[in-house]
Amino acid sequence: MRAHRWFTPYLLVLPAMALFTFAILGPVLATGVFSFYEWDGFGAFTSVGIDNYIRAISDPVFRASFVHVAIYILLTIVLEVGAGLFLAGMVTSRPRGTGFFRVAFFIPVMLPLVVVAVVWGFVYNPDFGLINGVLEAVGLGSLATVWLGDTRTALIAVSVVSGWVFAGFFMAIFYAAINQIPSEISEAARIDGASEIQTFWRVKVPMIRNVIEIAILLAVTGGFQSFDLFFVLTNGGPYGATEIPTTYLVKVVFRNQNVGYGSAMAMIMTATVLAMGAVYVWVRKRAEVDGGTA
Amino acid sequence: MKRLLGSRALFFTVMAVLAAIYTLPLMWMVMSSFKSNSEIFSSPLSLPTSIDFSTWVDAWVVGNLGRYVFNSFFVTSMSVLAILVFSSLAAYSFSVFDYKGKGVFFAMFALGLLMPIQSYFIAQNSLFELLSIKGHRWTLIVPYAAMGIPLAIYLLKVYLDGVPRQLFDAARIDGASDMKIFRVIVLPLLRPGIATVAVFSILASWNEFLLALLYVTNDKFKTIPTGLLAFSSRYVTDYQLLFSALTIVTLPMIAIYVIFHRQVIAGITDGSLK
Amino acid sequence: MRIAISKRDGARRFGVVASVLVLALALVAGACSSSDGESSTDPDAPVTLRVAMGSPGEAQIEVWEATAASFEASNPNVTVEFNFQDDDLYETIGLPNLLNGGDAPDVYFEWAGQRLQNRYDEGFVADITDAVQNGELGTYFDEGAYNGMVIDGKNVMVPANADVTTVMWYNVDIFNDLGISVPTTWDEMIAASETIKAAGIIPIGIGNKDLWPVGNWTSHILSRAMGEEAYDQMLRQEIPMDSPEVVAAMEYVVELQQTGVVNESVNAIDDNEGAELFFQGKAAMHPIGSWLVSWAIESAPDLNFDYFNLPPLEGAGTQDSVIAVSTGFIVNAESSHQDVAVDFLTLFSSPEFTSLMVDAGGTPLATGALDRDDVDSRILSLMEMMQTAGALVAPPDTGYDIEVADALYAAEAEVLGGVSTPAEALATAQAKIGG
Repeated sequence: MRAHRWFTPYLLVLPAMALFTFAILGPVLATGVFSFYEWDGFGAFTSVGIDNYIRAISDPVFRASFVHVAIYILLTIVLEVGAGLFLAGMVTSRPRGTGFFRVAFFIPVMLPLVVVAVVWGFVYNPDFGLINGVLEAVGLGSLATVWLGDTRTALIAVSVVSGWVFAGFFMAIFYAAINQIPSEISEAARIDGASEIQTFWRVKVPMIRNVIEIAILLAVTGGFQSFDLFFVLTNGGPYGATEIPTTYLVKVVFRNQNVGYGSAMAMIMTATVLAMGAVYVWVRKRAEVDGGTA
Repeated sequence: MKRLLGSRALFFTVMAVLAAIYTLPLMWMVMSSFKSNSEIFSSPLSLPTSIDFSTWVDAWVVGNLGRYVFNSFFVTSMSVLAILVFSSLAAYSFSVFDYKGKGVFFAMFALGLLMPIQSYFIAQNSLFELLSIKGHRWTLIVPYAAMGIPLAIYLLKVYLDGVPRQLFDAARIDGASDMKIFRVIVLPLLRPGIATVAVFSILASWNEFLLALLYVTNDKFKTIPTGLLAFSSRYVTDYQLLFSALTIVTLPMIAIYVIFHRQVIAGITDGSLK
Repeated sequence: MRIAISKRDGARRFGVVASVLVLALALVAGACSSSDGESSTDPDAPVTLRVAMGSPGEAQIEVWEATAASFEASNPNVTVEFNFQDDDLYETIGLPNLLNGGDAPDVYFEWAGQRLQNRYDEGFVADITDAVQNGELGTYFDEGAYNGMVIDGKNVMVPANADVTTVMWYNVDIFNDLGISVPTTWDEMIAASETIKAAGIIPIGIGNKDLWPVGNWTSHILSRAMGEEAYDQMLRQEIPMDSPEVVAAMEYVVELQQTGVVNESVNAIDDNEGAELFFQGKAAMHPIGSWLVSWAIESAPDLNFDYFNLPPLEGAGTQDSVIAVSTGFIVNAESSHQDVAVDFLTLFSSPEFTSLMVDAGGTPLATGALDRDDVDSRILSLMEMMQTAGALVAPPDTGYDIEVADALYAAEAEVLGGVSTPAEALATAQAKIGG
């Protein structure tokens, strides 16, 4: 449709465009620029070329943070996507009566991660926390440990919290997707004598493959950008065992006042996220070309 | 017909146990808010000896929680309002009109959808410092609105794209102006989309933490996430107070969600799937 | 007909967009005016004086509020507004955020030394030489109080407290029950700890989630072992952090780890929780600063506690050195109420309020503040120790570059946690701050 006045469409987009450019696009470009300088946020700019990038690549803490976040992402794929799929399977195995459970599992998604982190900080408390308390009560007190203070358990502990929060989210997504499968298909499987478990794995899951792939993409890109839980629960500790890119970034920029270096790291992180998205798109395209069920 | 777990009772038992374990941390939090500090410390799993809501009142008063809730309300409602207004206008423009540059503009927003927060928050911080935007009650509205716009535009545009073009052409023939079409046709059609966007944006804004932490350090203006964090570190060893504060902040959220769960879940899953 | 409609609708459209913009502007204007409020040069115009600091505890907060009430009574046009932040946050991003944001404070707390220098370089420090040399403010302090608070010959900070950064606080009752006397050497301290441990009590309890509690303590140990000069050189990066003398000094921390005298949860709990272990009698000793006194009096009134300085050990340093830092208040150079700020600080430093501060457990640098009969003997003793110490050691995080301090703290935490050897940890630390 043509507008009455030529400038109407532009005017309509203007407020959104202005705010977005000001608050987001502009800063993205600026971050790129900053990455080639040394700047403490208020003083002079010193051009340093790609020094910041070289430092970032060789920074042991930054590299370790990628490893940590990768482990975290793998765990969340199991604990969030996997658990979500399992829960979705459970609640779709019956036509009625599961509404209550779906609501219950989704509750943690609504809460601010800070609140979740503080509560779970207490759950993991070595002296009076819920977990150690339960372990003692059932006679497994020897397993009780300082969950967030032991380098072997800290990362897993944070991942478990993440799983607790988001499994319900993925459950809801998969539930909606499964519900969109025409019921004739599940009926047909049942008539053929398949059990619920078989129906789930052989029929429903393949049909929502797209959604599962998207879910994994969400888990990966979302996990990479994690901050809240890690900052509140451990802030990189113990001894940097749970330092992830964003917590380190915040320290470098806001504690050490190293804007240039932080910007270089931010650009590397951005490139990684975009690359992950690109890989996903490429894999999907390949699947289509190969005639998959895309 | 073979059922998954052989019997109804077994299924529901398993589900109930799962649900109980799942919500255990929250139930423990509520229980502990009624116990004294030494009780919490020495017998973590015991039931409270008395249900005394005065601890909750204490937490609210001592922690100035009302202030944080107010700030969260203010920031969230203003941000979501801005997102809805700006995005509906823009989605209307993208979906209904043809004009030069449309593709470029839309691509910019699409790019914004991909950009992680790390790609801009450092420079955004410097920019806000330069313009003295940081440290006010309304500070967070700016980034929250900006961050919510790309997804909102995308969702609303998808909704509008599904409307037959003839509707607009017919209205045009009837002599309607651009804005009249917006008011009379577009807005009503967008209602479900607006609801979805609202749910998304409210959640994102209400629970946002990183920017709230970095941009607003004056306790007067803190929102719930940062306010609660400040409270928890100040009273870290007054466990009862802390559990009470956590409880009175989470229970209303859970209650609201339970009441509106249909809309909430629909909103979030729709948004994610699209 | 068409054209007429178009014009009207054009106006409508402008109306929509315009009203959105007006709404936005009104919102901004409304929020702005509610937070600022004064700008004229009229001396009686309402003034909001903003004072910011990390939370000093409830007792001291009351003294601040009393000062504010008194000041407001004598200056009716002034409202004093406090911002008591979480102290860990204040020390890291809290203060810079405040200074760079709207509603920046007119008066704010800082540590003397490198941090003061940083603020000065950033342009947030006002010159108060006049008030000190010629005004009432200067009458409240001796020359010595301004140590580390003078830059380029200018007074730039109003002294507040002298803080001993770390001493070993101990539970007198536990010591008495176990027949332990105050250790006079490092080995005695270790032996005492082992006795306590055998009795099922945590010998030394500390919460090191934020790295500075153990950092300050072990850095003091390092300076005793390698000598103050080498310590200073290391922190100034004149010698690398993984130099042999530093690695050797770290062996003392290794000894702490191997004898298991520190609580297991050391890196998972923060400083407040660590103190709680001490308050509840679960830990017999707690290495933290002089500010513990006022806090303990309030939170654990029945606790019978005292302190001893780090006992002498075998090393090149001055074995009765004290790790300490002065703190003070800075008038923001960007404030439009610097005079009001100075007046307020003058009132705060006056004997009336200084003595209230002493009641609340502070250790003010103001002259004569501690010349009283009723000051807690521990505080007097700490101050005397500070004044008679053979050497004063500056803590890494307030006296030196923060990146260097952080790297050292991380290394110390790793060695105490048994996760790395001194050589490994220090090499990593040095790598972090640049080869």
